[in-house]
Amino acid sequence: MDFEFTSEQIDIQKAALEFAKGEFDQDAALEYDKNQQFPQSIWKKACELGFVGVHYPETYGGQGCGLLENALIAEVFCQQDSGIGIALALSDFGSEMILRHGSEHQKKRVLPSVSQGKGLVTLAFLEEGHCGALLATTARKTHDGFTINGTKSFVTLGSIANAMIVVCQTRLDSPHAHSTFILEGTHNGMEVSSMGEKLGMRMIPVDRVSFSNVGVPGENAIGHEDTGFHQLQEFFDEMRIETSAMGVGIAQGALNRAREYSKKREQFGKAIISFDVIRNKLVDMYMETEMARLITYKAAWSFDKGKPDSRAVLMAKAIASKTAYRVTYEAVQIHGGYGYMTEGHIEHFYRDAKALELFLETGQIQKNLLADQIAGRKG
Amino acid sequence: MRELLYKEEHVRFREAFKEFLSREIIPFYDQWEKEGIIPRAAWNKMGDHGYLCPWVEEEFGGAGLGLEYSFIITEEMAYAGVYGVMASLHSDIVAPYIHAFGNYEQKKRWLPGCVSGDIILAVAMTEPDAGSDLSSIRTTAVKDGESYIINGEKVFISNAMLANLVVVACKTGVGESTSHKDISLICVEEGSPGFSRGRNLEKTGWHSQDTGELIFSDCQVPASNLLGEEGEGFYYMMEKLQQERLVSALMSQATAEAAFDMSIDYHKKRRNLSHAQEEMPIDSAGLVDMATDIEIGRTFIDCLMYDHIMGSDILKRVSMAKWWMSDLANRVVSRCMELYGDSGYLEDFQIARYFRDVRAHPIYAGTNEIMKRIISRILDL
Repeated sequence: MDFEFTSEQIDIQKAALEFAKGEFDQDAALEYDKNQQFPQSIWKKACELGFVGVHYPETYGGQGCGLLENALIAEVFCQQDSGIGIALALSDFGSEMILRHGSEHQKKRVLPSVSQGKGLVTLAFLEEGHCGALLATTARKTHDGFTINGTKSFVTLGSIANAMIVVCQTRLDSPHAHSTFILEGTHNGMEVSSMGEKLGMRMIPVDRVSFSNVGVPGENAIGHEDTGFHQLQEFFDEMRIETSAMGVGIAQGALNRAREYSKKREQFGKAIISFDVIRNKLVDMYMETEMARLITYKAAWSFDKGKPDSRAVLMAKAIASKTAYRVTYEAVQIHGGYGYMTEGHIEHFYRDAKALELFLETGQIQKNLLADQIAGRKG
Repeated sequence: MRELLYKEEHVRFREAFKEFLSREIIPFYDQWEKEGIIPRAAWNKMGDHGYLCPWVEEEFGGAGLGLEYSFIITEEMAYAGVYGVMASLHSDIVAPYIHAFGNYEQKKRWLPGCVSGDIILAVAMTEPDAGSDLSSIRTTAVKDGESYIINGEKVFISNAMLANLVVVACKTGVGESTSHKDISLICVEEGSPGFSRGRNLEKTGWHSQDTGELIFSDCQVPASNLLGEEGEGFYYMMEKLQQERLVSALMSQATAEAAFDMSIDYHKKRRNLSHAQEEMPIDSAGLVDMATDIEIGRTFIDCLMYDHIMGSDILKRVSMAKWWMSDLANRVVSRCMELYGDSGYLEDFQIARYFRDVRAHPIYAGTNEIMKRIISRILDL
């Protein structure tokens, strides 16, 4: 049992915080949010300094760190700004599937370009109305590869990613016979359309991507055929942890802002932090955030040890996303009228936090997965 | 309870108003949300149909109806999610100041316009440094012959951009005194010299509701624009805040009901389409908890509306209702969004707008913390 960070981890945390403080301009963040713009220049700088893909081995352009380090960066970035933090954390979304299961050629081709800021990567796994049965998006084998047909929804960065990993049904006789393919650049038959505005997470476009007889060479398949479901589940564990870290960061950032505001804001002749109602709120916010952080780090630690603790991972995602929601809710409340105004620099934390409760899976699905774990069956 | 509140004519009125909303308001609402403002013509349409200040006596241009009609309007607008046309603020929060504390001339002069929609109302209390603590306002009004000269700045004022008449809380006492006895309510009309509007502020929700800043710079208004007595403003506000809190609580309750029903409907449709109930986990007991809370809230609010109409003192209970129902509305909307999966996060779905809109409820009309402060004092805790 050791709760100390290594000196390397402390350095990473410090460097990330310094970078975020220097580069995440508060007003620019509001502009990106309003205009639904990906923070391109900040992302490029973050890549130059090695903050993206820190968990890739050095041979693939990373720093050879673990998931915990990657999570620490996501936490610090989200703490400084929820919107920019989420955008940077999702700039390599799905690349871990290549990292863990891809061929040497695929890793060399995609990962360095992601970590160096040459291109964004994303994963297309969701389908509207899909719940459990066969995927509607199929990949049919041809003489030299596969032909993809179908439509994916809620594809983050769909319209601006250079590489997209697509999860397809490769056999119809088994619901879990999925395969994953890397699609780079544009393809004939591939169409991307926006799913419209969102209430938060607005720096990340969310798109619908349709495939009409899109051909991909066989070498673009990740790992073995029909193992996509397993790859995705494994990636989900990793992504749940990173999402938890985002939640912890958003909560910490919101409570820092609320604390500073309540020290400054005076009503009834004194700073509002001296009122019981505010003090109690802040204490609850601190306690919840710290609990979320502990379970998140535990999950990350277990992952880096090579034996992901599935319960801790699921609990971390559930607890941290709920904490982010609750803490940002109270942070808005402590800001009073300013809390509801864009210029109060806190309300976007609240809108962004809600995304985490829906991202990957909703709280209820998580609870079901956890219930399966607790009941002793694997879902 | 509802039978005590609503008779057959109320039911007819509700139906007619719903029909009006679906014809004149709802189809254009998305556009107004984008534009950040409600067109004045929409207010006039509300007025033309008798949906503004229906309780004002015929003598002053109104229909002389009971307050229940106002409640029906507030409720239906919340059900439809069209908060931006803030008729309830105009009709049931600001107009009562003029009605209760104005003299005959003032009522004759302004109330008919309030009924027709020609005069849109706002009330300006909050200042950059005076939110929950009303007594610390700094806007001053100094008597100068037959005029008041007003100086100061108000913020987060609803209807700030459209208002033709603003009831302004000012200090009329001397010096830096923070006595409650120094506050007066003065009506400032559009076009008064020295009166200007600041920014229409961007906010989480209520995008079509113009919430902004008002600036008074040696603003000159006739001394006859004073409402009631000088120095009584604080007590007037305390008296009228009861109804404001009732209206706020009602909006929250109605929102919780609408969001819940809408989400359950959506879920059922999706379930029927997918033919795969077992694949769509749903925390039915949790939803039942919410349905129960909503039912309890409805009973409570109906009771409060009735008691308020009957003239009872509901200060403690309405303060409870305001915080509890605004909290309920947020809980319900946030939880129900999960029934939509990722779609709930998209602006095309009403639940997303509800999520942004209801976050204002625990803040406006006295924050929930202030409600609890009032209640704890009544309970002598």
